[in-house]
Amino acid sequence: MGSQKFNAFEMAQSQFDRIADLLKLDQATRDLLRYPIREYQFSIPVRMKDGTMRIFRGFRVQHNDARGPAKGGIRFHPLETVDTMRALAMWMTWKCAVIDIPLGGSKGGVICDPHELSEYEMEQICRGWVRQIARDVGPYQDVPAPEVMASPQTMLWMLDEYEVIHGGKFPGFITGKPVSLGGSQGKKESTGYGVIFAVREALNELNLSLKDTLASVQGFGSVARHAIELYQQIGGRVISVACWDQSDQATYTYRKKEGINYPELLAITDPFGGIDKRKALELGYEILPGEAWIEQEVDILIPAALENQITSENVQQIHPRVKLVAEAANGPTTPEADPVINERGIFVIPDFLANAGGVTCSYFEQVQSNMNYYWEKDEVLARLDVKMTAAYHDVSSLAKKSRQNTRDAAYMIAVSRVAQACKDRGWV
Amino acid sequence: MNNQDQSVDTLLYALKERAKELNCLYRVEELFNISEATVGDICRGIIQAIPPGWQYPDICLAKITVGEKIYQSPDFQETSWVQSADIIAQDVKVGSVKVYYTTERPPADEGPFLKEERKLINTIAERLGRRILHENLKRVFEEQTTVKKQDKDWLSIVDLLKRTDPKLLMRISRKMLNYLCWNGIEEAERLLEHFSPAYKSEESELLKEINRPYQKKAVSNILAISEDIFRIAGDHLSETEILGSIQKWIKDDRSDFLVNILENPGSTLSDITSAIERYHHLTPQGLELPTPREKGFRVALIRRLLTDQSQFINIAKHFIEVDDFYNLLHHIIFPAGSHGKLGGKSAGLFLATQILKKNLEQQELLGDIKTPKTWYLTSDAILNFMHYNNLEEIVEQKYKEIGQVRQEYPYVMHIFKNSPLPPEILKGLSVALDDFENAPLIVRSSSLLEDRMGTAFAGKYKSLFIANQGSKEKRLAALMDAIVEVYASTFGPDPIEYRLERGMIDFHEEMGIMIQECVGTRIGRYFLPAFAGVAFSHNEFRWSRRIKREDGLIRLVPGLGTRAVDRLSDDYPMLISPGEPDLRVNVTLDEKIRYSPKKIDVINLETDSFETLEIRDLLKECGDDYPLVSQLVSILEQDRLRLPGALGSDFGRDYPVVTFEGLIRNSNFIPRMNAILKTLQDKFETPVDIEFAHDGRDFYLLQCRPLSYGAAYQPASIPRDVPKARTLFTANRYVTNGIVSDITHIVYVDPQQYGELSQQADLLAVGKAVSKLNQILPKRQFILMGPGRWGSRGDIKLGVSVTYSGINNTAMLIEIARRQKDYVPDVSFGTHFFQDLVEASIRYLPLYPDDAGITFNTEFLSASENMLENLLPEFAALSGIIRVIDVPEASGGLVLQVLMNGDLEEAVGILAESNEAREIKIKRSQSDAPPGRSDEHWRWRQRQIERLAARLDPERFGVKGFYIFGSTKNATAGPASDIDILVHFQGTAAQKQDLLSWLEGWSLCLSQFNFLRTGQETDGLLDVHLVTDADIAKRTSYAVKIGAKTDAARPLTVGKSKFARHT
Repeated sequence: MGSQKFNAFEMAQSQFDRIADLLKLDQATRDLLRYPIREYQFSIPVRMKDGTMRIFRGFRVQHNDARGPAKGGIRFHPLETVDTMRALAMWMTWKCAVIDIPLGGSKGGVICDPHELSEYEMEQICRGWVRQIARDVGPYQDVPAPEVMASPQTMLWMLDEYEVIHGGKFPGFITGKPVSLGGSQGKKESTGYGVIFAVREALNELNLSLKDTLASVQGFGSVARHAIELYQQIGGRVISVACWDQSDQATYTYRKKEGINYPELLAITDPFGGIDKRKALELGYEILPGEAWIEQEVDILIPAALENQITSENVQQIHPRVKLVAEAANGPTTPEADPVINERGIFVIPDFLANAGGVTCSYFEQVQSNMNYYWEKDEVLARLDVKMTAAYHDVSSLAKKSRQNTRDAAYMIAVSRVAQACKDRGWV
Repeated sequence: MNNQDQSVDTLLYALKERAKELNCLYRVEELFNISEATVGDICRGIIQAIPPGWQYPDICLAKITVGEKIYQSPDFQETSWVQSADIIAQDVKVGSVKVYYTTERPPADEGPFLKEERKLINTIAERLGRRILHENLKRVFEEQTTVKKQDKDWLSIVDLLKRTDPKLLMRISRKMLNYLCWNGIEEAERLLEHFSPAYKSEESELLKEINRPYQKKAVSNILAISEDIFRIAGDHLSETEILGSIQKWIKDDRSDFLVNILENPGSTLSDITSAIERYHHLTPQGLELPTPREKGFRVALIRRLLTDQSQFINIAKHFIEVDDFYNLLHHIIFPAGSHGKLGGKSAGLFLATQILKKNLEQQELLGDIKTPKTWYLTSDAILNFMHYNNLEEIVEQKYKEIGQVRQEYPYVMHIFKNSPLPPEILKGLSVALDDFENAPLIVRSSSLLEDRMGTAFAGKYKSLFIANQGSKEKRLAALMDAIVEVYASTFGPDPIEYRLERGMIDFHEEMGIMIQECVGTRIGRYFLPAFAGVAFSHNEFRWSRRIKREDGLIRLVPGLGTRAVDRLSDDYPMLISPGEPDLRVNVTLDEKIRYSPKKIDVINLETDSFETLEIRDLLKECGDDYPLVSQLVSILEQDRLRLPGALGSDFGRDYPVVTFEGLIRNSNFIPRMNAILKTLQDKFETPVDIEFAHDGRDFYLLQCRPLSYGAAYQPASIPRDVPKARTLFTANRYVTNGIVSDITHIVYVDPQQYGELSQQADLLAVGKAVSKLNQILPKRQFILMGPGRWGSRGDIKLGVSVTYSGINNTAMLIEIARRQKDYVPDVSFGTHFFQDLVEASIRYLPLYPDDAGITFNTEFLSASENMLENLLPEFAALSGIIRVIDVPEASGGLVLQVLMNGDLEEAVGILAESNEAREIKIKRSQSDAPPGRSDEHWRWRQRQIERLAARLDPERFGVKGFYIFGSTKNATAGPASDIDILVHFQGTAAQKQDLLSWLEGWSLCLSQFNFLRTGQETDGLLDVHLVTDADIAKRTSYAVKIGAKTDAARPLTVGKSKFARHT
């Protein structure tokens, strides 16, 4: 606390400093990686519906592209700041590196509130953003993807503008496109499936037969659903699922001790992962308080909803049977809870490894777009399996070797890979 | 048996006769309707039409004499079996109609003739008389026009009148005399003085009753005078002037009957109906009315049929023409001798329809707007109904205690439902049902008080849907049932209480009924419109600074509009601002799906019931038949919504989301709504709200009335003389209307301090603490004030990170935009949960403390004692950032009132005493604001709970202390508030069981009493919290309330009742 304000970039830097210490990185490498390699800030003039002109502020931060073209989202938010984008760009670099795909990290956006803009004005902002930065982004330089308040539609406007400027077709310029227009199959499934590929490998290492394991899942959104789908397909049993109930403004845990029936639950779920409580009761599910998911007698906990769910307060309630926590959500475990989990010998698949399936599939989209040839879903998911499995073992073996926890091990792998690429290129 | 057969035969025979007579009458009417037919043509036609209409057509002959002309059946012969009627034109016999039988027949009512035949022949003669008069006059006019330029033509007219129509001449003479006097001709004035007294008295008597001897006397007098008058006129006026005047007066005279009927307060609706009918038949033949007279008619008709409110008449007279009433009158059902009106709702819709129809500039948008087929029951039919069933005493209900009214209401409903409607009304309804056929109907109330300009009487009376399926008997029974139910609602406690509050209890209330065809189409077993909704010409729920109030607001739903009219607790209507349709409330995919309508109201034609379905289920069942479905839904495809493609949709497989995207983008819906709202607001000269529906083919206007604000959304008057120290804040940007009153707690997140936080965990903790406060502070009696954007999920340092469930008990959400270095941060308008706020009536206000002229009382907010640590010890570390202020504690017993006036773009938060605040309430811009009655709710609760405590035997139940807290203690309880009690319990499990069931009994009992008082239904009124010694020691759960620094529970004396032993 004190007078220092919360600053995401400083937080990202201090995180990096800690890993750099562990890796004993030299000063030049630290100086290079502590800051973005390039930053662009520019103005986007837009003629509004009423004829007046307004100037919007646009950004692109490229943190590092030693391993390949930079990759990162585009955000439209009224209170966006450069520091947030710097932090997010850095995290993208690590994320791509840990899963070992040949991409760097970047982030960008426009300060604007889409709630205050008509669709036409939004289109002008998107096209204006591309016009200002068209020379410094591209399929082989820096590839944007949709993020906060962006959509497949905004991506298509941007792609279209880029192609007009460069006089050709470059579907690989952007990811997050609809499947019908250069998107990739398997995108829906990728994050959830990725989690389970890692879980499968972890259970193997822990000498547990997946078919004998039980799991409890927090969340029933897209990631959780596909994780459950694959886990049950390959023989596991999920006995409880916790999710948000919009009408009650509360979370509930739905439990069936003999194992939930995934298709049956799916049929009574809205697109946000809200399960119809009444119908679930009819189907014979027990309805428990929202926090009950964590205390179930299972082997695997999969938090797949929000950040900060496993805290110092509830970490003690984790059942002694639990052997594995797979962090499908971003930051589900608070720093205070982390040591408790480690002490109890529970194996953690850290978030930025566990949920790397999403970015991997974006990479696949880019690859397919660049060659203008698209794989079937099976092929996408098979390649995802290969990537996730390899990445898991890299992290796991480093963790064992260096006697670090998996979270730090994952960071160390990421940072060292990027540092190595910079060295190889003679940058440091 | 035999007798019965006979009577049935007789009945059948009589019915056949009536049918023949009617046929005859129709044929005769047809002849009259041929405008180019001469009297001769008509007579020849009648001769043919008569025999089939009489009882013995084979031996029936007819003969008509008009002046010297005779028309008769072929082979005519006179016999002694004759029925005859004279043809009268201007009181002079000009001919006759005669019907003969050639052979003798058994005697009936009038020789061999029936009494119905008498009526028929009289009618024919009367119609002929009128036609002849018309022809005569027409001839006169024609002669005049052909010889216009010649001198002294007017003399021949006067001459002609003398011979043909002395009464008309008399009236014209008088007008000429007036005209001459008007022009200052002395000779005429003398004449007037001289003849005036006698003339007047006779004239007035003449008008009263037709009495031949008098008339003759009068006529001879007047004829003499008239010669004088016209002589004077000839001396002083030009030929053209005289001729013109006479022509004009003769024309006027033809509509005099209407004047007489309309101006006479004694004339009944049926008089008016027949007069309008006559007028209508005259019109195609060129009845031109002078403007003042036409206007007079309009006003008189509006006053008689629609409303006597001058504000309404002032507007309506410009748009409603006399002939517009013709069709309307054919759809009015009324008791004999009715003086009733149609009521507010009907009047509003009728006027709006005429306004839109007559707006010629925007015909392509407004031209094809329809209104559903409607029948009306006049407002006095309810009195007729009550009189018929001897229920007059129920009128006095309104003067009873409201508790009694509520108690007796089910009984009133029961009696009404078991009382028949008078036969004449029944007949009318039967005709209406034939007209409606099997279309589902909505029976709407349209009372005299409803929808009056300046009163908001929305939704107090009932509107009922009926499926209208099956046999006519069944349909009629259902319709009657619905009507009496609406009738009974006049005596319901809610409207009576509402009227009481607004000082309208003595207003003579009558209940008109609108029976409207329900707009919609049949889809499978359901009946529903494609979409429906309500629209307001003023938008009180702006979600962006770019939306102006004048941009309006539409609440749109698929299916019946009921879901758009009411605030929904479990669903969301689509909100669109028609002036800025591109600025959506919901932008991201997540928002678009979350806040899209999920349910739909329909009429189930198989079960005759009103149902709410899941839209997806309905679309699965019959999505392909749903009208305009491709304009209403988008398809969720992975992570985007797309409009249904040209190939259609498979609703079994696709995930449809109601977005109205196609309707907004690809139809004229938005421009049309804009045109409607702008036109109506412009012409009504006040903001309006409308209801509408679309059946897939046509757009229907269902209702239109001056914009009514719910009680909480009235523009507040802003007090100017509040001392600075008692002003908490002022605002002058993006202000809406309304009052948020009796706020006892403020949760203030200090923007500066919040901005200084450096740890994400601390930022998140602020959100958590606010969510916890939301649970423990008294519901709707606290407000949240914080920096920037509440609910910010992206970058949480820009606004407190909470979900809707973390703020859902607040009364108001305030976003503070403090200047930071060189810029002022944005506010969000509550975007993250905007629609939740709207549906839950949580108010929103942005504050700009650094703007010039704005007050922001930092001192009060920062210096008042902070209760946070006391309430949430675990968040004590955040005391520098979150301040919880007990307003009465900090201000010496005052509460916070937020007064907002969107018209002035001004809002103010003041610390006021409850009484003072109530005075402000009364002084609202709307004069009919309710006087404060809220005191009684907490006082009553206080009394009851004191008695309860007194009766509680502490030893029996193991009770050590008994406390009250929450709204009753804080004197802010409303009619539905529960009573929070805290029991310090230290007994056995059995005692606990005992105590809880004892309190449960009280709880239900009090709830029932409260229902009788207020009409609010609750499942028990007591909210009981037990705490033990251990709780108190550890200060866990509600134990913190005991001896707390803020909002502490107050102890009550237990077991001191003299009744204690008996309990």
